Amino acid sequence: MTEKVRAGAQADAPMGTIRFRVNGKEVALGPESGLTASMTLSYVLREKLGLTGLKVSCDEGACGACTVLRDGKAILSCMSLAVEADGHDFLTIEGLPADDPVVEAFAEQSEPGHGTALQCGYCTPGFVMTTRALLNENPHPSLAEVKEALSGNICRCGSYQAIAQAVLHAAEKIEKRRVRT
Amino acid sequence: MIVPFTPRVDRQFIGKYRPKVDGREKASGKAVYADDLSLKSKFPGLLYAKVLRSPYAHAKIRSLDLRAALAYPGVVDILTYADPDVASLKKTNAGWTDGVDTVSYRKMMWGTFRDRFVLGDTANWVGDEVGAAVVAESELAAEEGLRLIKVDWEVLPFVLDPYEAMKPGAALVHPDITQDNIFPPDPFGGEEVFVDKGDVVAGLATAEVRIECRSVYHNATQGSLDNWCCVVDWKEEELVVWSNSYAVDQTRMHVSQMLGLPIHRVRAVSPYVGGQFGRGDTGDQPFFLFTAILSKRSGRPVKFKHTRRESFHDSRQPADYSARIGAKRDGTIVAMHFKSVGNAGAYADHSMFALKYAPKEITEVALAHIPNVRFETRGVYTNKLPACMMRGVGNSQFNLIFGQVVDALAEKLGMDPVELAIRNFGHEWESLPDASLSSVLGSGASRIGWKEKRHAPGKGPVFGDRKRRGVGFSFHPAWHAEWQEVRRGKVQVSITLNPDCTVLLNAPSVETGNGSNTCNVLGCAEALRFLGVALEDIRWGSTVDTAIGLKDCVQTDSAVSFLQSEVMAVAAIDLKARLAEIIAPVLGVAESEVEIVAGEAFAKSAPGTRMAVRDILLQGDLAPITVVKSRSPLATKTGVPYIANFAEVEVDEETGKVEVLKLVVINDCGTVMYASGAEAQQIGGQVIGLGETLTEEIVYDKATGVPLNFNWIDYRIPTMADMPDIEPVLLEVWKGAGEYGACGIGEGTVTCTPRAILNAIYNAIGVRVDEIPATPEKVLAALAATALTATASAATGLAAKAGSEGRS
Repeated sequence: MTEKVRAGAQADAPMGTIRFRVNGKEVALGPESGLTASMTLSYVLREKLGLTGLKVSCDEGACGACTVLRDGKAILSCMSLAVEADGHDFLTIEGLPADDPVVEAFAEQSEPGHGTALQCGYCTPGFVMTTRALLNENPHPSLAEVKEALSGNICRCGSYQAIAQAVLHAAEKIEKRRVRT
Repeated sequence: MIVPFTPRVDRQFIGKYRPKVDGREKASGKAVYADDLSLKSKFPGLLYAKVLRSPYAHAKIRSLDLRAALAYPGVVDILTYADPDVASLKKTNAGWTDGVDTVSYRKMMWGTFRDRFVLGDTANWVGDEVGAAVVAESELAAEEGLRLIKVDWEVLPFVLDPYEAMKPGAALVHPDITQDNIFPPDPFGGEEVFVDKGDVVAGLATAEVRIECRSVYHNATQGSLDNWCCVVDWKEEELVVWSNSYAVDQTRMHVSQMLGLPIHRVRAVSPYVGGQFGRGDTGDQPFFLFTAILSKRSGRPVKFKHTRRESFHDSRQPADYSARIGAKRDGTIVAMHFKSVGNAGAYADHSMFALKYAPKEITEVALAHIPNVRFETRGVYTNKLPACMMRGVGNSQFNLIFGQVVDALAEKLGMDPVELAIRNFGHEWESLPDASLSSVLGSGASRIGWKEKRHAPGKGPVFGDRKRRGVGFSFHPAWHAEWQEVRRGKVQVSITLNPDCTVLLNAPSVETGNGSNTCNVLGCAEALRFLGVALEDIRWGSTVDTAIGLKDCVQTDSAVSFLQSEVMAVAAIDLKARLAEIIAPVLGVAESEVEIVAGEAFAKSAPGTRMAVRDILLQGDLAPITVVKSRSPLATKTGVPYIANFAEVEVDEETGKVEVLKLVVINDCGTVMYASGAEAQQIGGQVIGLGETLTEEIVYDKATGVPLNFNWIDYRIPTMADMPDIEPVLLEVWKGAGEYGACGIGEGTVTCTPRAILNAIYNAIGVRVDEIPATPEKVLAALAATALTATASAATGLAAKAGSEGRS
């Protein structure tokens, strides 16, 4: 056997149990789950927990499609190992409420001059989660701040201009709801 | 300032600004794609396949040693080129059709170029999927198994450059097809000189003004986020393939024909697809076949998918165009001679479409009024990534030279290029000036501020010491009007009216992002407005399945925005007649006397007494009424509308960096089917267009032929921060045949972007960069070359002056 395969075999060795929260639920993954040291968080969320909202496209931190929130901050789940999840609190797009203002703003975006905020929709969950993190930190971003914050996500359909508008509309929606309550 | 589009005909559903019908499903992450539906939890017993990829640009497998791989835990089976299951398969290619029709093996469009073996023993580019496929219990085990296969490669000489490839003695890529790497003539595309109208030699000789130009288009890649993915489950009674193919009928035909199965034993299913942009040509990809065979042998479902790096699987076809143009002094073009050399890469697929078919279409429309036109081309095999469709087939490549010709000739004549264009180009069925082209260019010029901003090349104001601005444009005739879709064959839909007047719509078309599903739901509601149907009354599905027995309408361009809606408009007439049969006895009148408006039925003679159609149906037998309509696109020749892009750029003369400040994208659509979606296409296309122009390029190591940047860090797709303001302009000037008379716009939004930007760069700095991507290095090199020439001529001038002074 070559070194590489031994390394592979090691990476494939069963692990102890890790515990974390996803969308408010406690998750424990033990040896019986098939968890290994080399598994990424994105792989475990999708393949083991069935949370397929996040997408794995580049699988190397370049496109942002796998973005989830860890303790309120956006991370690339393809660049994080599942074993590092232990003790953390995660939010995936499945954990957003049905009337989430960011989801609504992305879905509704259609006014003249900007197009729609999504076309094929593959990058959309990543953009929505990055936006959630941005608005958690900065509830009233300027257009320049939106562009800066979302420039780690790739949309090949090119809906950037409408996405930026949707983010601004989402901020307005959040503000309106805050005032109402 | 945003100027919303105003429709020519105000309709209830069609032509509006409104959210996408799948907006909420996609924004909430609930939309399901191929990689999502094929989790192991959903496919008990699922196996994973991986295929050997060549590390060499050109090599033949002498032998494979599988012992260690087969012994690796989890590896179930290995299929190789020597296996009879594979070795018995016919040679094929990956572009059976141009994507509009479904074709058999015998009828494949480019049958001359059957140059691919399924899992063959010879690799023709670094990354070629050849030799062996491993299937295992996990992806990791499949990968490890693959690494453990000992391959004895016979490394062969290779060639990357098409000009080198044409020289005697060059490495031959497909010696069974060509002995000099140059594509032989084919029945569809014709000879090397494939358009020869009038007498181009005489035309050029007698022209008062002549110019020569050259433009080089490189190899960008489609870059869909949803990497190729398929699951095949081949049980005795049926082979089912779930995938992100954008053409389920063609996928079924491909599998059926290659594996020798009757059509009813093959079922192809595609859910939402995360972007397509032409990747994989028409999807007749060998991996469907070896995945299927692995499933049959294991008796279990098998999943095959590409990683992102593996998804650099084909590129836009690089093309090197040169042109010689002759005109009269008044700006009338008398002769156009275009030559191109296309680097097809390792497999021909759709190369001839890009090199011949697309320019042929142009001749028929835009160049209809030019008396002398000749096109010639050489498609050349090399050991690079195979060339392919990419948001258009050859249109962008041709536009790069076409737009340069207009810009350069206008400069030589001292004319405005907008005027020159309108003076010369239109289409066969209309006299000049062409109304569509005039409106498109007029609108673009006013939105970019052409009159105020256009100046002599390199003579504009300087910003911040060293930055110069310029404006430029390019234009192109659109394609995918109804008459150009005739080869597609029947477009099929079925509409079922339930007794409560809700609707089941079957308008199969794989939704790849360009909004066909939204357009179809809008088209259905519009067609059934006599029933007062609301959008929420229509049930439609996002998954396309050949099992329903209707052919899917394949996304090429955004033509599905209207193709199925046109059929629904006809289907609605049938449905109304069927309702009249049911309603007539209830009203006690003849069928011809029944009228239905806004969901209410009445006798034409007694419009005051009305009954809700819903109430009538609910009193009846409660059987749903289904209308199935098959209709060929209308062949009436209506010409085509025009498209254009206008760009404003700022060039830093010290660093060579080009910043695009603004893009205006103008499409004459005939009829805008869905305004928000059309604008999304116009704006969205610029990510590909701008990326191809400035940053996107596959880079090869010339010594080995290894591509160096098969990842999204080094292959740079523009992000939000890189994009300028984009102004979409929708027009309805031209009209095609049919109820709507619309035209696809999705591909065309990309076509003119590179040339518009290059013309703007020239306007800014007075130096042409005609090879994309226009990187800072190329801009600086062009500036330096001009500076050198200027210095040299200044020196010559000085010397001459000194000499003459000396003599005096």
